[in-house]
Amino acid sequence: MADNMHKQGPQTTGHVWDDTLQEYNNPLPSWWVWGFYGTLLFAIAYWLVYPSWPIGKSFLTGVFGNIEYVNAAGETESWHWNTRAKLLKETQEAAAQQKPFYDKLAATPFDQIGKDPDLSSFVTSAGKPLFADNCAACHQSGGSGKVGSYPSLADDDWLYGGSHEKIQETVTKGRRGYMPPFGEALAPAQVTALASYVLALSGEKADPAKAAEGKELFHSHAAACFYCHGDEAKGRQDIGSANLTDKVWLWADVPGAGDDAGRLAAVEKVIAGGLAKGVMPAWEGRLSPEQIKLLTVYVHELGGGK
Amino acid sequence: MAASNPAAAEQYDYEYIKKFTVMAIVWAVVGMAVGVYIASELAWPFLNFDIPYITFGRFRPVHTGAVIFGFGGSALFATSYYVVQRTCQARLWGGGLIPFTFWGWQAIIVLAALSYVTGYSQGREYAEMEWPIDLLIEVVWVAYLAIFVGTLMKRKQPHIYVANWFYVSFILATALLHTFNNIAVPVGLFTLKSYSLFSGAQDAMTQWWYGHNAVGFFLTAAFLGMMYYFVPKHAGRPVYSYRLSIVHFWALSFMYMWVGTHHLHWTALPDWASTLGATFSIMLLLPSWGGMINGIMTLSGAWDKLRTDYVMRFMIVALSFYGMSTFEGPLMSLKDVNALSHYTDWTVGHVHSGALGWVAMISFGSLYHMLPRLWNTRLYSEKLVGVHFWLATVGVLLYIVAMWISGISQGLMWRAFDDFGNLQYSFVESVEAMHPFYAMRAIGGMFFLSGMCVMAYNAYMTIRQGAREAGVAGRTAPAAA
Repeated sequence: MADNMHKQGPQTTGHVWDDTLQEYNNPLPSWWVWGFYGTLLFAIAYWLVYPSWPIGKSFLTGVFGNIEYVNAAGETESWHWNTRAKLLKETQEAAAQQKPFYDKLAATPFDQIGKDPDLSSFVTSAGKPLFADNCAACHQSGGSGKVGSYPSLADDDWLYGGSHEKIQETVTKGRRGYMPPFGEALAPAQVTALASYVLALSGEKADPAKAAEGKELFHSHAAACFYCHGDEAKGRQDIGSANLTDKVWLWADVPGAGDDAGRLAAVEKVIAGGLAKGVMPAWEGRLSPEQIKLLTVYVHELGGGK
Repeated sequence: MAASNPAAAEQYDYEYIKKFTVMAIVWAVVGMAVGVYIASELAWPFLNFDIPYITFGRFRPVHTGAVIFGFGGSALFATSYYVVQRTCQARLWGGGLIPFTFWGWQAIIVLAALSYVTGYSQGREYAEMEWPIDLLIEVVWVAYLAIFVGTLMKRKQPHIYVANWFYVSFILATALLHTFNNIAVPVGLFTLKSYSLFSGAQDAMTQWWYGHNAVGFFLTAAFLGMMYYFVPKHAGRPVYSYRLSIVHFWALSFMYMWVGTHHLHWTALPDWASTLGATFSIMLLLPSWGGMINGIMTLSGAWDKLRTDYVMRFMIVALSFYGMSTFEGPLMSLKDVNALSHYTDWTVGHVHSGALGWVAMISFGSLYHMLPRLWNTRLYSEKLVGVHFWLATVGVLLYIVAMWISGISQGLMWRAFDDFGNLQYSFVESVEAMHPFYAMRAIGGMFFLSGMCVMAYNAYMTIRQGAREAGVAGRTAPAAA
């Protein structure tokens, strides 16, 4: 016989497994049964609200969940509940909220935008996520840039110009920075001389003799640096060549180098190897013209817009 | 008690149960260690070290594969072979098939992990194994089914015990799910790469029909089978209600099959399919709770055991987490709740309250119950079981709370608009906000893992003690057989 130590109370089914395993035959707890019926009722109600059972080639569309919204053309559309209509309704509503500001932005000349406090706060509010989702991956949050890869947008040094119009052109059409490699055209000593001159231009420590030699090379037709960087080495914004006389470094990681030798090597590397990776993608077609205009103002405000 | 009954070891075939038990513990340590590592990668990304083999994307399926199929799977093989023999009073049927399931299953886990780190994946969650491994799973699984059913047919008991219904439904459903979710066309005979036969929304739906039923049958029904044997056996009390066990078994098996589409709310899936997934998830709540009620009520009248018996505590805490996460799941499957929770860490937290709180805890309880009985000795240290219990409980709580906060804040940040109708936060701001909770989650994982290491030590010492005692017994009573 089974071990009957719990003989009092509810009856077991009478089966015994593995010496001691038994089962009571308690009824289903009534709260469990009513809870289960409750979930069935809930499910039926849910089926009535939302699209549910498929019937033939169609399905029950739901009755209480109609979605109505005004589309971009100004017409009212009405749908049975569906995911797409709900998304359209929400995006239309948000777009309707933004529209007066975007319209105003499109109609306001750049120099007037800052004078309108409402428009300015709209630019800040819309620009923050737009910048963070589209620009910050390269230019970093706040537009601080990354030496060696991406220019800072927060300083007043502009490769292609820092006016509203130029920034708008850059964002719309993109840019492609290029500098030819001189490693084969020039001897290593010449590259060193040029690098010393470039360092000296920015007030970095450099061997004066080599810098003087570099200055000559810079303005000679052998190296021909002045073609792009200009006679005064201040760069040309029409072709995006860098100003070499300031303390702003983009490609040569001079600030990150530990010592004089490191700084020299950083500049030599750029001169010898050239550059072909300075690509900024075009945002035309990906962002609307109003969004680009907004980003232009936002970027202009980040640092030293001109 | 079976522990003092050496005859059981002669009556039943324990050899591969022992091997599966050891491997369950080994895979738990490995899988949880990888889990802690990838959690740390999310909190401190430098841990990727730019080594492709250990990046999050490749290590993540190594983690899920090792814990679900390595630890969970081995624990299920071990307990099901143990339970089916003892409740049928029959030795395992199948002869050579039994070692084949053991070596085959271990090979699957190892091969899968190797293929993931080298970059081979079907890209199907919990079914990342490429086609040759899938074929091996198919063969091993059919052997498993044959062994289990073969043993049931040999039973000396007129009735089939409830735990075995759950084990059979788990084996059958897993065979079905695995087969249909992995219908794929290999790119070539000598390449690992393959493409699914389904496409688009149908492919997604097949994957989540599999994905959620992996949770439903592999991680729920099977472990309910475990619960139905080990809880009443360890408590020494009859199961609370036979009737409830029948009703909730059939309701659970029927409802689960429908709910996978709740993973695809707000996607290209037709709305009617996602509605059905949501409602069947709601209707699944009480059938799921049937198992919890039966487990917890079985203990009523033996509550005093909880004060002293940590193995029992593991089981009761497992049932509580089971009840909690089977309530949370239906809630998250409602369209409007899902609009907030989808793609956030809330989902990750939900999975782990089920996986750590329910699946791992009920396995720990069951393995602690089996260990001394398999090796015919006592547990090396009850006190260390207590240490494990507290480390595990604190670990789960840290994990879940971190993921609740981080998931709900993610959801709220992504949908926040300001007064102008602009998005209030950029994506990267939400990532930044997650960081402290990612660290907290990693620490929770470390607690859970260290508990697991305590268990591994305790198991090792128990097995050694069993071997030593068997040696002594063998010398003093050589004719015991």
